Amino acid sequence: MKTLIVGLGNPILTDDGVGVKVAYAVEKSLEPNIPKNITVTEASVGGLRLMELMIGYDRVILIDAIMTSNGHDYGHIHELTLEDLRQITPTEHSASAHDTSLVTALDAGKRMGLHMPTAFDIIAVEVENVMDFSDEPTPAVAEAIPIVTKMVLEQL
Amino acid sequence: MKQKITIDPITRLEGHGKIEIFLDEEGEVENAYLQIPELRGFEQFCVDRPAEEMPRITNRICGVCPEAHHMAGTKALDALFDVEPSSAVKKVRELFYQAFYCTDHTVHFYALGGPDFVLGPDSDPAERNILGVIHKVGVDIGMEVINCRKRNHHVIKMLGGRGIHPVAGLPGGWSVSVTEEMRVEIEQIARENVAFAEFSLKLFDDVVLANQDYVDLIVSDAFTHKTYYMGTVDENNQINFYDGMIRVVDPEGKEFIKYHPKDYAEHIAERVEPWTYLKFPYLKAVGWKGFEDGIDSGVYCATPLSRLNATDGMPTPKAQAHYERFYETLGSKKVDGRYQPVHHRLATHWARLIELLYAAERMLELATDPEITEPNLRVAVKTTPTEGIGSVEAPRGTLTHHYKTDENGILTMVNLVVGTTNNYAPIAMSVKKAAQSLITKGTVITEGLLNTIEMAFRNYDPCMSCATHSLPGQMPLEVTIKDADGEVVANLSQFVEK
Repeated sequence: MKTLIVGLGNPILTDDGVGVKVAYAVEKSLEPNIPKNITVTEASVGGLRLMELMIGYDRVILIDAIMTSNGHDYGHIHELTLEDLRQITPTEHSASAHDTSLVTALDAGKRMGLHMPTAFDIIAVEVENVMDFSDEPTPAVAEAIPIVTKMVLEQL
Repeated sequence: MKQKITIDPITRLEGHGKIEIFLDEEGEVENAYLQIPELRGFEQFCVDRPAEEMPRITNRICGVCPEAHHMAGTKALDALFDVEPSSAVKKVRELFYQAFYCTDHTVHFYALGGPDFVLGPDSDPAERNILGVIHKVGVDIGMEVINCRKRNHHVIKMLGGRGIHPVAGLPGGWSVSVTEEMRVEIEQIARENVAFAEFSLKLFDDVVLANQDYVDLIVSDAFTHKTYYMGTVDENNQINFYDGMIRVVDPEGKEFIKYHPKDYAEHIAERVEPWTYLKFPYLKAVGWKGFEDGIDSGVYCATPLSRLNATDGMPTPKAQAHYERFYETLGSKKVDGRYQPVHHRLATHWARLIELLYAAERMLELATDPEITEPNLRVAVKTTPTEGIGSVEAPRGTLTHHYKTDENGILTMVNLVVGTTNNYAPIAMSVKKAAQSLITKGTVITEGLLNTIEMAFRNYDPCMSCATHSLPGQMPLEVTIKDADGEVVANLSQFVEK
């Protein structure tokens, strides 16, 4: 099964880059013998661009920041499905102001007959600050990074 | 940093595009604006870092156009270290940059702006997206869009050194040289881009221009503003995305001013209003006269439409033919040898496709230029740095990077004027006019208000990623209407989680 691990976000925007930081950590744990069927990458924008990255893969593990305003503590780890993205609050980066949402883009990909992943695991970390430039996440989000990294590795 | 005046405390907006409309005592629209969350502390983040890191830091600001920030940052380093890039360096950079334009303009037309026309302005917002476009015009066209983006992302990766955040820019140079094998591949890609751009213009003809209702909508007063227009031009006053002088034409089409990008601060000032934290750039020499149309108001616009209005023509033959057709079709007359500006904001979508064709043609010219395979694209830096300014035309408007350093090249000051910022005042005016068409004497016609407002600002392709980083869903939109006492009289929304 060809698997893509994508960390989404901006690593210099405090908590926003939590997904990217997890992806780096996953890559480091797998090195130097990253299995041939696994690709680890980062991405900064959702919509079509993100869908295009996924073409040809069977499974995707997506790590992103989320702000649900549901009273969850910062650093809370959400495990979501694609249906959740369709129906509940999207994660921070799964959509792009410049084009469309990931879900719409994936539907478009399927409609065009492209080989799109059928298995999706979305891990989203409840974040506190995505408005200030900094390469250091807030403490609660920083604590979540090794936990999410372990979760991703266990899912492989 | 200037003081930021804020009336309503801006809480995290969950990334919503939020519109605020203010009514006067009579219940008429007094002001309106698109609220764009503003990120904080970029200058502080950069200060004390080595300047040469800037092209790699600034391309992280925005997920949508890292290539534009990388290029403006690289050009600011040219100036900072006082190294003039060779003609081969400029050509390789421009080749990279045209590939970026081919991806960016394509996605706006097919995924964001085009659906308004392809599916119709009154269609269900849930279907007014790329999926709806594919449904209407066919799966094959969807694949053309994906393939266009794929082949140009391949070029960006080859020439930029990385796929998402390019790293090839050096002071005075470029770290990737083009081999003959790469050149052959890029030439083929450019040819496919030209064909795709021509196809897209044909689609615009068939779907939009052949429909009188759409043409009437484009030229309607509700979507028209007579402002100044800004764009970068070459020595022949023709459009250039990568380099040149900044030219501003007045609403009648006469050249108002032409300046070197390094002099931006002499010509552009920012207006602060008490009701928003956005700062509205305007032309210093004209002055701020409010959110007003006309030759006496310093409001200017920097978009694909602006660039066409600011140029005397397109440097490539096919784009030039479409440029002439654009002005002739929209009723512009030639005065003193140049077309009078088109002021219809919805024509920006058409202008964007003409720019797409220019980018493709120029890419082909560069890919077949004998100098493009020059292997030596680096120069030694010998000057002690002090200050540098670089600018490019980003797809959403003129983008300027300004850095100051100490004698060791460590940053002491950073200022960026990003593409969308130029258009804050025109966007506010367009939103206001759209709101005025449906709000009179305190009566709000809610039906169609969201659609009309969306169309009014979408043509600017406002990229909030420079100011903020993301938006969820399908452009969630929230409109708040407040009366003269600041009381909320209506709230409208779509795609907003409650």
